[in-house]
Amino acid sequence: MIELKGVTRRFGDAVAVDNIDLTIETGEVCVLVGSSGCGKSTTLRMINRLLPRTSGEILVDGEDINNADPEALRLNMGYAIQSTGLFPHWTVARNIGVVPDLLKWPARKRDERVSELLTLLGLDPAADAIKYPHQLSGGQAQRVGVARALAGDPNILLMDEPFGALDAITRENLQQEMLRIQRQLNKTTVFVTHDIDEALKLATRIAVMDQGRIIQHDTPEAILRRPASAFVENLIGKGDRGLKLLGLRTVGDVMARHALPSQPEPLAEVLKETDSLRIALSIMVWQNSGELPVFSEAGEAVGTVTREQLLQGGA
Amino acid sequence: MPVSTKPPNRVIPVLALAAFACTWLLDLGVVQPNRIVSGTGYGLYAATGWFGAVVVSSLLAVVIVLATKLTPKRFGALILLLTTALMAQPLLLEVFALRKLPEDSAYARIGLGAGFWCLAFFLALMLLETLGRFKASRRLQFSVVLLVVVSWWFCASREGLSSLSLIREYANRADQFSQALTTHLSLSLGAVAISAVLAFGLALAMVRRERLRRPLLGLVSFMQTIPSLALFGLLIAPLGALSAAYPFLQTLGIRGIGWAPAMLALIAYSLLPMVRNTYVALMEVPEPVVDAGRGMGMNERQIFFKVKLPLALPVIIEGVRITTIQAIGLTAVAALIGAGGFGTFIFQGLGQAAMDLVLLGALPTVFLALAADAILSALKFQRAPR
Ligand SMILES: Nc1ncnc2c1ncn2[C@@H]1O[C@H](COP(=O)(O)OP(=O)(O)O)[C@@H](O)[C@H]1O
Ligand SMILES: [Mg+2]
Repeated sequence: MIELKGVTRRFGDAVAVDNIDLTIETGEVCVLVGSSGCGKSTTLRMINRLLPRTSGEILVDGEDINNADPEALRLNMGYAIQSTGLFPHWTVARNIGVVPDLLKWPARKRDERVSELLTLLGLDPAADAIKYPHQLSGGQAQRVGVARALAGDPNILLMDEPFGALDAITRENLQQEMLRIQRQLNKTTVFVTHDIDEALKLATRIAVMDQGRIIQHDTPEAILRRPASAFVENLIGKGDRGLKLLGLRTVGDVMARHALPSQPEPLAEVLKETDSLRIALSIMVWQNSGELPVFSEAGEAVGTVTREQLLQGGA
Repeated sequence: MPVSTKPPNRVIPVLALAAFACTWLLDLGVVQPNRIVSGTGYGLYAATGWFGAVVVSSLLAVVIVLATKLTPKRFGALILLLTTALMAQPLLLEVFALRKLPEDSAYARIGLGAGFWCLAFFLALMLLETLGRFKASRRLQFSVVLLVVVSWWFCASREGLSSLSLIREYANRADQFSQALTTHLSLSLGAVAISAVLAFGLALAMVRRERLRRPLLGLVSFMQTIPSLALFGLLIAPLGALSAAYPFLQTLGIRGIGWAPAMLALIAYSLLPMVRNTYVALMEVPEPVVDAGRGMGMNERQIFFKVKLPLALPVIIEGVRITTIQAIGLTAVAALIGAGGFGTFIFQGLGQAAMDLVLLGALPTVFLALAADAILSALKFQRAPR
């Protein structure tokens, strides 16, 4: 658990972070969202003491972080940034192994960990491990950045716009990977982004920031349904917030489940139970149908969903 | 290999034609009755007879034919041919000496003519061009250079070339030569080593304290702008006064002239390229990389030795390379204040109007500079992130 109590950070006379209170529960993903310059990175960097705070208290599991040795503190907090910051003179494997090395793990344990992480992030443990960062695509480099942050098996993950520089499709893929990895690992995560859709997708709770303050701190659904101010309302966009709401829940939550799954002939475009209601609605509109079969990841037909179920589920 | 689809190479035929013209129009060698008198020049045909003239001319013709359509196979043949030609070039002089050197005169000697230098120069250019086109590996380039150097060394030590003026000058001063080599190397490399340590400290201080940056850079740039001879001269008086005041300094060899002022001046000149490159290299390590290292939990020491220094090293080595070449050249000038080294031969030779004595000092200086360049370039290349 991470607690920020009345934390302020000034640069000269300018106040970058203004007396914020924020509690991040163990295992949750807290997304700090807000426009550029509102103090997100400053907040994040105070948590691993890359920046000293001007006043206030930051506690990790009840301990003030200023009581810990800063290096030891950071070794237990994975850190991934937008520009990846991969070491250009080291191979991918050595980059990922940097925290295990700092923690003085035995070489075998480290190498196993590196392979495991390369696989987890959809990279090739043999071919990609020996590449240098400049030989990677933007998406691959960012995957390595995330793998490096996870390598020491830290309790806490700090991520500063890790997917901000990627194209839409690669970003979408990496967000999916993040969700999958988070379901497996349950790390306490602080994730910074300026993209509200990314926030809605990844967050357990969102903290909306503006001019160094936290305007609203709540679940994605609550933020969409009850924006605390005109600023938040603007950020989420009035026009399609209904659709965004549909994006928060999966088809599996609202569908009518078959008693027994069956194995039908493969279809071109199928609705999966892990897809969001928003995707289901889109397919319905496209196919002009009121009811769709729903499939599991394994390709079995597991139920059906109707337009009424969709709309009720979203409401 | 994509090379074969390139348009016909024009550079090599042009160089070969130039070499052809030079060998026929200029003197290959000179016969001197003694070391001062300028002597009679002989062209390729006059010097080596039909045999030499035919060998050289047909070699250049074959080079032109090979170069007009460069297939990968022909590249190999061309490299082989040019390397062999360069390696064997001193044999022309041996033939020349055999045919033209008067038997009866003990002082008679042969000198190198402009034709000989031009032939060597154009052969080397063609070889470089071919190696470049071939995208030859560093190992091949290195082997070619080594073969040529070893072959020339071997030829120079043969009896047949003992009448070469340059070798006569060497034979008369073999002890002085090895003394000069030691002095030259220890002065220049010593100055580079000392200034490397100093520069590293200064650059670190500049990285840590922004305030020191401008005054320190200003100081080392200022020292660079003083003409070398003036700096050598300027140091004579204070060092002379010092050693007069403290006689024990004289026993260390510290006097107004000699190695001490030379060393100080060389260090002063070496500081600018070294400080500037080290400082820039350390400052240009990308901020996100340092930030990531710190965020991962590296301490400042680990950040410096594992991240900043390795990333800065190629540029730092580049500074050492520039400095070393510069110091080897300047050490030759330091002979004027009695520091020793190869400059001694150059200035003696100039004084006696004995050009081959000048060459005896100049050639090894150039060779040392080229060798330092090659070694440090290879080191830099090896350290650069692939
Ligand atoms: N090192 C610094 N020196 C001075 N001002 C800074 C520094 N870092 C950040 N700031 C200022 O603090 C404010 C918040 O910055 P930051 O936390 O980086 O914003 P965000 O990450 O939300 O884009 C900005 O106005 C920025 O100009
Ligand atoms: Mg930021």
